[in-house]
Formats: sequence, C-alpha cells, structure tokens
Amino acid sequence: MSDTTMNAAGRSRLLAVLPKLAATALMLVLAAVWLGPLLLIVMTSIKSNAEFLAGPFALPKSPTIQPYIDVWFGLGFGTLLRNSLIYATAGSALAVALALVPAFALSRMNVPGRKWIFGLLLTGLMLPQQTVLIPLYDTLRTFHLLDTKIGLIIVHGVYGMPLQVLILRGFMTTIPPEIEKAAYVEGATDFQVFWKVILPLSVPGILVGYTLNFIAIWKEFVFGLVFLNSEDNFPVTVGMLKLNSDRYLAVFNLPAAGLVISQLPIVLLFILTYRQISGGNLSGAVKG
Amino acid sequence: MASSAKRFDDGTFIGYARQHVFVTVFGVAVPLLVFACFIGYPIIYTIYLSFFEWNGMAPQKKFVGFANYAYLFHDKYFYIALVNNAKWLVVSLVFPVSLGFLIAYVMKARLVFAPSLLRTIVFFPVTMSLIAVGLMFLLILNPVFGAFDTLLRSVGLGFLVHEWFGDYRIALYTLAVISGWAFTGMPMIFYFAGLGDVPKETFDAARIEGAGHWRMIRSVALPQLRPVTAIIVMLTLFESLRAFDLIAVLTKGAPFGMTNVLGYLVYMESFWNSRFGYGAALSVVILVIAGSLAAVLLGKVLKGAFDV
Repeated sequence: MSDTTMNAAGRSRLLAVLPKLAATALMLVLAAVWLGPLLLIVMTSIKSNAEFLAGPFALPKSPTIQPYIDVWFGLGFGTLLRNSLIYATAGSALAVALALVPAFALSRMNVPGRKWIFGLLLTGLMLPQQTVLIPLYDTLRTFHLLDTKIGLIIVHGVYGMPLQVLILRGFMTTIPPEIEKAAYVEGATDFQVFWKVILPLSVPGILVGYTLNFIAIWKEFVFGLVFLNSEDNFPVTVGMLKLNSDRYLAVFNLPAAGLVISQLPIVLLFILTYRQISGGNLSGAVKG
Repeated sequence: MASSAKRFDDGTFIGYARQHVFVTVFGVAVPLLVFACFIGYPIIYTIYLSFFEWNGMAPQKKFVGFANYAYLFHDKYFYIALVNNAKWLVVSLVFPVSLGFLIAYVMKARLVFAPSLLRTIVFFPVTMSLIAVGLMFLLILNPVFGAFDTLLRSVGLGFLVHEWFGDYRIALYTLAVISGWAFTGMPMIFYFAGLGDVPKETFDAARIEGAGHWRMIRSVALPQLRPVTAIIVMLTLFESLRAFDLIAVLTKGAPFGMTNVLGYLVYMESFWNSRFGYGAALSVVILVIAGSLAAVLLGKVLKGAFDV
C-alpha cells in the first residue's frame, strides 16, 4: 500500500520534472544551432591555410590575423565600412527627423483624419521594396542622384520614416498628458510644447528608433545594389558579394574573416543597446 | 489646451490647420508630401509602366496595353517564382514563427536555466545582414569543407550529404530555412513581450485547474496572443515577399530558375534583361498579392490593433 503511494509520488515528481528536462535538452540543441555557426566562422577566420585543411572542427593551434589583413585590403574594407557608417548614420538621422513632428501630431494632437494619415504612412512599412525600384531609379537619375551617397541617404531616410513614426508615436503616447496641459495653461504654443516638453521626454524613444534604423540600414542590400555603380560608394553588404567567388572561396579563412569584419560594428552596437532593442519596444509601439 | 485657440477649431481640417500651423505643416503636410514623392508616386508610376515596353534607356516608351500581363500568365518562370514564394511563406510560418513562440513560452514558464542568454543568442542573427548570413552558410554547408556535412559524415549520416545550394529539389528549402534561422529572434521577442502582458492570474488559474503545458499553450497562451500572432504573420508575409538578399548572394535563382522568387524575378527582368515594362507588371502582381493579403489580415484579425 505505502509502496504504491511512494511510486505514485515518484511518478508525479518525474512528470513534473519531465517538461523541464525536455525543454532544457531542446534549448541546448537550439543554442548549438544558433551559436554553432557563428563560433565556427570565428574559429575558421583565425586559422592559417594549412590549419584550415585539418577540418572545420579542429581548434586553431596557432591563431593568426593574416586572413583579416588579407581580406581587409583585398576587398577595401576601410572604404566599405566608412560608406556603411555614413549611410546608417545620416539615413537614420533623416528618418528620425522626418518622423518626429508627425509622431507628435499623431499622438498628442487631435488632427482630423489622423487615423487615415497614420494608416497611409504605415503602408510604406509593408511595401516590398523591389516593386518601386524602377521608378526610384528613374527619379534618382532625373535628379542626377544615381550612384551618389546623397541619393542613397535620401532613399534610406524616406523608407525609414514610417517605422520611426510607428515607434515614436507609440513612445509619445505613453507620456502623461498633464505635463503638456500645464504648458498650454502657461500659454505655450504647439511648437513650444513639442520642442520644450515632448521632445526632451522622447529621447529614450528616439535612441531606440535611431538604433533600430541604423541596424536596418547596415543590413540593407537591394537599394545599394541597384542605385550604386562605383565601388567607392558601395556599402559593406554590396562590397561583400565579391567574397562569393572562386578567388576567395579557395580557402575559407578569408571569407570568414570578411564576415566577422562586416558584422563587428553591429556587434558593438548590439552589446551597448541590447536591452533597449530587444525589449519588445516594437510590439509596445504597435499597441500604443 | 489653450481655450482661446479652441474657439476657432471647428472640427474640420481647414479650421484645425489655421489654428495649428506648425503641426499641420511639419506633422502632416511634409510627411505626406515626402510619402507622395517617394512611395505614392513610384507605386503609380510602376502601374503606369506596366502597360509599356521599355528597355530603361530609350527616350520613347512603347504602349503595349495588357501585353505584359498576357505574357506574364504564360511565363513559366513567373509560376515557378510564385510557387516558390508560397513555399517560402509556409516554411517561414512553420519554422521561425512556431519555434519563436516555443522558445518564448519555455523562457516565460521558467523551464530552462539562463533564459536571457538563450534569448540573446537567438536574437543576435536578427541584427546580421542577410548577405553575411548567406555567406556564412555557404561556408558551413559546403559539401567538401563545410562543417555541416563533415558532422553528418562523422555520425554515420553521410547519405544525407547534399549539394545544398545546387540540388534543384532542395535548394529553395535550404534558402528558406537559412532565412528562418536569421528571423526566429523576431517572433521570439514579440511573443516574449506578448506573454509578459498576459495577466499572471490567468496562468495561475489554469495551473490550479491542473492544466499541463500543452493545455496551457493551446487554451491560454495562444488565444491570449492572437493580436501578437496576427502582427507576426503580417511581418512574416511581407518578409517572405521581400525575399531577395539570400538569393542574390547564394544562387541568383539557379539552378534553372528553381530558387527564383517574385522579388528577385522583378530585379532580373528589369535590371538584367532590361525589360522594365515586364518588371513593372511583375511588381504590380506583387503589390496586388501584398495588398490583398494585408487587407484580409487587417480586416479579420487585426481589427483595432492599429487604432489611434
């Protein structure tokens, strides 16, 4: 009798632990699947040609930075990184600048028809970029902005704006209305309320939006591929295409090193801002 | 609100605009103008161009009526790309979305140790460019030197080794799974945030009723997360219609156009084959697909999610 109770208790304890065990096992596999490729690439990037032939799982015995030096000069990473930095910095700044007052208008002001305006701006978020490549190409050519940095910055800024309106509007909605009421009672104008009250309070939201936009432009490929011709203007993503060629794929340490270089600035940004950008700010903005 | 200002604000747009010049100009007019120039006009121009034959350079465009569309409906490559987009979408909905949910749930239910570490690891690829991701898997999945096939061979699964990007039966799925690898972090953080908003009492009540994890997911978590799921499905949908980067860096549509998707076909036809009119017609098809799917989703599931 007591024996069966013990068994039942043991079994129920096992049943309670089982999901935990299964989940942990699953998570270990997942961690390996997500971390494994990255680690292997970093490992390959510091191997010499001879060590590469020892197989992908062989640990590097005498790590070398030669692949980094070779690929840096082979692809001209100095120029590529500088260009990507320009596009990401300026493009995100333009996107945020364009989005600030609309976000203010759509979150704090009773603009008639604001629901429609907001909805219209959001369609820009859903538009597959390939469908507007031809007219944008044509427009840029008309204004002699094809294959120029300014042209690409403008395109990035404009196409970043809808997401910024979404994020900033969501953020501004959370600011308590009493603050600006007090300012209006004091006789402040709309502009003063925006400039002196809402803008300073929105700085955290602006930083999140700017960071996300920065990463998005760093990742972007289609616009750079179609609107640029000269290598002096290429961002990292377009310049890196060369790595998929016989010249670089003979031994994998060079392309691996190139990959690491291309991602390093974002890794730094990721470490600095991880908490902000992965905190579900986007879903918060949608519900806002 | 300043009461003196309120007097002229008669509820119409004109009345409002006269009272709030700054907001009307910089908050409404400027963004709408920018939108019209760079997003609205290009869409209309694409539709216009789809009725013409144009090589992109010639000063004269030749009007051909619906010829581009007629051609499209007999174009084998169009159908291959269309079907590939559908396959890509199915893979994306099954793999990253459900896995993202599972990870979020397991972390929220505290079934694993170091949940934040796992979250960081899975989220990281979201910040990587798909060009870098593609090149990375080009190295990992190389049949001779690649880590994946080496691993398969060493555990006695050598018969599974494939030309992952060269075999026309599986190349598209290879690409879609790689894209899913890079995307999983996205549904994961959305679901994670969504689960955080579900009142704790709801889960506690279900637990007291004796619900296991399976019941909990089916009867509590998923129904509560319907709006989040709707947003993620939308994101996945547009993400899959945008598929481009991986194909450009890895296969360029080869072998035999079997890995082509609509987004890449548009680029090939316009900028490589110089058939801008036909490229525009393909673009219009993508727009129609995206628009109608968005309308269905917005109308049915997302009702109220974007309310101001």
